[in-house]
Amino acid sequence: MAIATQGTANNYLQRAPSPSGLADVLDVILDKGLVIDAYVRVSVIGIEVLTIDARIVIASVDTYLRFAEAVNRLDLAQTETAGIDELRNGGSSGKKKTEGAVEGAKEKIPGLGSSDKERSR
Amino acid sequence: MTVAATSTGVYVYGIVRADELPAVSAEGVAGMQVELIEHDGLAAVASRLPAEFKVKRRDLNRHLQVLEEAFGETTVVPCPFGTVMVSDADVETALLSDRRRELEAALKRLDGMVQLNVKAVYDEAELLRELLAGHPEVARLRESTARLGDAAYYERVRLGELVAGLVEDRRRADADRLVSALAEAAADIRYDDVGELDALKASFLVNRKDLGRFDARLEEVAPALQPVARIEVIGPLPPTAFAGEGRGV
Repeated sequence: MAIATQGTANNYLQRAPSPSGLADVLDVILDKGLVIDAYVRVSVIGIEVLTIDARIVIASVDTYLRFAEAVNRLDLAQTETAGIDELRNGGSSGKKKTEGAVEGAKEKIPGLGSSDKERSR
Repeated sequence: MTVAATSTGVYVYGIVRADELPAVSAEGVAGMQVELIEHDGLAAVASRLPAEFKVKRRDLNRHLQVLEEAFGETTVVPCPFGTVMVSDADVETALLSDRRRELEAALKRLDGMVQLNVKAVYDEAELLRELLAGHPEVARLRESTARLGDAAYYERVRLGELVAGLVEDRRRADADRLVSALAEAAADIRYDDVGELDALKASFLVNRKDLGRFDARLEEVAPALQPVARIEVIGPLPPTAFAGEGRGV
């Protein structure tokens, strides 16, 4: 959400009437709504799905190591400003999220890249 | 992707009561004009789909904009992005006629309702700093892993495992706190999967007359999560998460 990235330390509650970022748009319209026996389901292919939040398996060594690294590089002297910069830049966590995102999108839509045609019943 | 070239197809955005939506001016998916396919008091908001069609990012926005315009006029039962039926006749029979009872019930259920998407996002540094301050074991492992460097692989895994567990506990507590504050002003809730640094991602179905109350609840609960989490609220949106019984495909 574009508005969110402009936040300040005091901006703990942000509102937007409509989603602006791709991830937020997808949150609203992808796999949400009345499911009907469709002739085809047009898939979201070839679109750069950069920022969908994907479920990340918490119980993995990768996650543990990432958390450990994040704890280790914490600068205890810094207070409020660090967090915001980290959020804005995405940091390594943001990158991880993005990687997961693309996988998440693929999971959501089987048959990515091929024509997935569902015959109506 | 390319849709089967044998048919042009009918792209469906959602369903409304026929007499409540005169027209939609927003451009449809693939730049097509939006039409209403009516049948016995119900209407599908739809557009033609060209035989050779590749989804572009702006098609996602078009889908949403069509829904938002319809939603601005009347109650709409949204369909997921990418729903395409064979023909107008198929829309009339397989959808508007065969599922009439269900559609009417859904329209009734969604009358006067809006959707608000609420996401609580952690500030990783603030969150970890708080965990570090509150758990001596985390601080101890942090020191020993820093001291041992690369030799501390298993210690690092243990530190990370400990932190991951604490984050999960914290997430559960924060999600509970948020939901119990907001549920009172909402008619229904659907949860989305959360990312590693989200406390909560959920859609709330809220009656328009309760919007003020919902907002007041948000104002009340948000400061309590500071500075560890901030809340993002999007809406009022068409009730996409509440159109059907279960979640999408």
